Amino acid sequence: MHELSICQSMLRIVDATMEKHPGAKLMRIFLEIGKGATIEPVLLKDAFEIVTHDGPYAGTELVIKDIPLVGRCRSCGRSFEYEEIALGCPSCESIDIEIESGLEMNIKELEIDE
Amino acid sequence: MAKVSIEKRILSENDRIAIENRKTFADAGVLVLNIISSPGSGKTTLLEATLDRIARELAVLVIEGDVSTERDMDRVRARGAGGIQINTGGGCHLSAKMIREVLGELDLESADIVFIENVGNLICPSTYDLGEDVRLVLLSATEGDDKPMKYPSIFHEASLAILNKTDLLPHLIYDTEKVMKEIAVLNPNCEILRLSALQGEGMDTWIDWLREKLAAKRGEQTSGARRGT
Ligand SMILES: Nc1nc2c(ncn2[C@@H]2O[C@H](COP(=O)(O)OP(=O)(O)O)[C@@H](O)[C@H]2O)c(=O)[nH]1
Ligand SMILES: [Mg+2]
Ligand SMILES: [Zn+2]
Repeated sequence: MHELSICQSMLRIVDATMEKHPGAKLMRIFLEIGKGATIEPVLLKDAFEIVTHDGPYAGTELVIKDIPLVGRCRSCGRSFEYEEIALGCPSCESIDIEIESGLEMNIKELEIDE
Repeated sequence: MAKVSIEKRILSENDRIAIENRKTFADAGVLVLNIISSPGSGKTTLLEATLDRIARELAVLVIEGDVSTERDMDRVRARGAGGIQINTGGGCHLSAKMIREVLGELDLESADIVFIENVGNLICPSTYDLGEDVRLVLLSATEGDDKPMKYPSIFHEASLAILNKTDLLPHLIYDTEKVMKEIAVLNPNCEILRLSALQGEGMDTWIDWLREKLAAKRGEQTSGARRGT
């Protein structure tokens, strides 16, 4: 639902970076999106196409790396997919869990043709 | 082909403005709560019930985020709050920038507490820091007991979860223990209160919690001022 506004925030970062590379064509944008980050990659790609189709980034590819939602048990140190650990550690039953990954929403790098 | 490294949070600009907001709120010595929930969980009802209990002694401002109408703003004004309405024009969440843009219209210096009622939605508002002190997630018994697991990011960032509409529990299938356990797993620092904004059960504990937070915030304030001299 908020993929459009996420897309606009991303494009502001992209614009600021591309300004430093005048004349270059943007080929790919690499993102890292956690499964628990409330961003739907398909919707984000749709939003990106709609926003960029008639501008300098038309045809640029959005490459999204999905990061699984993983919890780590602080008691025994084991990590599990979040679904398995949501009610406590399946191995030692501790509920002292930390989210290890899966909340990311990062822009990693751009690939440009200079 | 060349690679250009960026390594930034997509919402880094929002995060930056949220830090400015937090500083503005801290300078004014005001406690700020960002209330997030699905539509109909009882955000406005909780504000009304809260105002009935504190508006005589504390100056309360409400920032109402809503897709279109001013109805919620009218409801809290009627209970003694000042504040302002932000219509997001269809947008599904408030952002730090939207808050920044209305701060000039609020008398923060005379205020004790600012409540921000975010747009009714449990998903989108969760990743937008507004500069608040307390991120409050409101769940109501009628939404079912599977919410924490479905929306991990909101609970991961929350400092308080309120389970509202406890008066309806006798009529529902709802495993309160399970909900509390799932929240604890997601975020051991998230406090949990249970209440009925409509019937009043549990409201006293919430008001005490609020007063404690306000006192703590003012404590920070004075020690900060002392350090500053
Ligand atoms: N039974 C019951 N109903 C409630 C309670 N709190 C709110 N409601 C009802 O839930 C509906 C939505 O409340 P509202 O405050 O407008 O929700 P909001 O959309 O989150 O602001 C209204 O009909 C309220 O009367 C409660 O504690 N118990
Ligand atoms: Mg409301
Ligand atoms: Zn364990």
